Amino acid sequence: MSSGVYTYKHRCEGGFDIHEVYIKRSKFRVLFSYVGEIFLFANVLHALLLKESLCTNSFWSISFAFVVAKCLQYKPVKKATFYSGRVHRQFVPVGKLLKPVLNEHVTPITCYWSLVLLLHSEDKLVRVFKKVYPPVKMMVPIWKALDAFTNYGGMGNSVALQPNPLLINVEQRCTTT
Amino acid sequence: MENVTGEGISDQIGRFQTQLQMDGRGRKHRILMVSDFFFPNFGGVESHIYYLSQCLLKLGHKVVVMTHAYGNRSGVRYVTGGLKVYYVPWKPFLMQNTLPTLFLTFPIVRTILIREKISVVHGHQAFSTLCHEALMHARTMGYKVVFTDHSLYGFADAGSIHMNKVLQFTLADVDQAICVSHTSKENTVLRSGISPEKVFMVPNAVDTAMFTPSPDRLSCDEIVIVVISRLVYRKGADLLVEVIPEVCRLFPKVRFIVGGDGPKRVRIEEMREKFSLQDRVEMLGAVPHAQVRSVLISEAFCIAILEAASCGLLTVSTRVGGVPEVLPDDMVVLAEPAPKDMVRAVRKAIDMLPGIDPQVMHLRMKKLYSWDDVAKRTEIVYDRAMQSPQTDLLERLPRYVRCGAWAGKLFCLVMIINYLLWCLLEYLQPTEGIEEVPDIRPVHARLESVDDTCETQGKGI
Repeated sequence: MSSGVYTYKHRCEGGFDIHEVYIKRSKFRVLFSYVGEIFLFANVLHALLLKESLCTNSFWSISFAFVVAKCLQYKPVKKATFYSGRVHRQFVPVGKLLKPVLNEHVTPITCYWSLVLLLHSEDKLVRVFKKVYPPVKMMVPIWKALDAFTNYGGMGNSVALQPNPLLINVEQRCTTT
Repeated sequence: MENVTGEGISDQIGRFQTQLQMDGRGRKHRILMVSDFFFPNFGGVESHIYYLSQCLLKLGHKVVVMTHAYGNRSGVRYVTGGLKVYYVPWKPFLMQNTLPTLFLTFPIVRTILIREKISVVHGHQAFSTLCHEALMHARTMGYKVVFTDHSLYGFADAGSIHMNKVLQFTLADVDQAICVSHTSKENTVLRSGISPEKVFMVPNAVDTAMFTPSPDRLSCDEIVIVVISRLVYRKGADLLVEVIPEVCRLFPKVRFIVGGDGPKRVRIEEMREKFSLQDRVEMLGAVPHAQVRSVLISEAFCIAILEAASCGLLTVSTRVGGVPEVLPDDMVVLAEPAPKDMVRAVRKAIDMLPGIDPQVMHLRMKKLYSWDDVAKRTEIVYDRAMQSPQTDLLERLPRYVRCGAWAGKLFCLVMIINYLLWCLLEYLQPTEGIEEVPDIRPVHARLESVDDTCETQGKGI
């Protein structure tokens, strides 16, 4: 299942029920990110090299460059895994899982869905996808699998989409196109 | 069974339904109600939107409400009957109105319209900025829009002139408009220049199940007059200061209960002290309704009168706005907004009291006003709106030009910028990229289907 930059894959392997969401990396966004960083670097360097001509304008120039760089900054799923291809994982003990919830969020400019976990003895809901917003059609099968598991108490479950009974592996991967 | 042409009855019904839907009649609408005023805020507009939405849901339409966030109440909430409410996190800045931004609400309005597959946008209240902006964006996107005016406004003061110009801008391009009384319709037509043929009169209603008469027959030994109002000039609090001592002097059996708060509360308390009426005038002080904003000159349609009549109580009111249209003469006593005439009206009401049967009055109210009836009448307005032809920007611009020499050009410019912004939004986030929300059936629909199942099972047994 694909939608925009997101691709969803589901497979069962060695008794594990694996749901994966891949995010394609945008080359243009990476390029723009570099341009922003170079622009900021050039501005700072210019100010350092020409110390005698430093004035208020230099401060505004650097500030402007910083804002531009910040706007163009591209944050893929996880900075640390950007080049290494490593996977960032957060393990949630399934014994703590009370219920998965599909939440609708409203911001001043848009709406989006998120999959969150209601955990035992946790004050806050835990978001499954922390910095990305995959379409709800990709989150529904994951939610259904988790919901089926919680409904059946995790034991003797005949539902095909049963997650790992020991751990829920919340992972986000990044692929390059 | 088939007719001579070989066409089955179900085919004929299907064809008829299709024809109705093509005409815009009989189709199920997907309605977005937009206003800055909704629960937990309390008032006439809020009640109107809530009850109307509930009844439209019962009729099988999809209804979604959009308002601004109230404190921590932000995001999506589902209220009674599965009514979905978007509390958009735009903070109110004045009298529960969001800051007028013209274009900044476009992205969120567009997202909601697309994801909820809306067919009709229904804005409420002339001084709701969110309503005006949403209607403007909806028209830019080619949606059918309906506007309900709940209030009366003047023509001469600076605030009214400004508000009327905004109303003129919005109503220049709405498909249909609704007013809650004939007086309100006349006022709206004069203020906005909208064609009277486009304006429907659909009154408010009352939840008669909630407002019922006291089961005990009230004693005539003591007559209690209840005043529930914000204690401000516009609600006639100054009249009250002159009327209460006079009525107390004329009728020793009368006692007053004044509920509400406001700047004029001090005056009423001073009057109570001056005439030593502490034991006959009870001040309840602030009630939740007191928080409701007031910018009304007079009532377009007073729901409080309906509520009182539904409780079997005789009402005395000033003859202002749409109030004379609300009830028949034998259920309300009207007076000119002058102390002398108010005292005369109270005297008349006290004389009428022995002949009033609260239960009979309640039953009459049940027949006269119901939200189901309001919903059916509003449904007709939606059908009519759906029949109006689709127009593009170039066809719509002349409607704005007619709004005034300078204002007309300014309105055109705003609409052109809005159109360009829409194109930009379509480029940045195409419609196909916005996910549509799955429909969740209202609770009563689910219960009905459960009942149907039970009935079928029962018959089977």
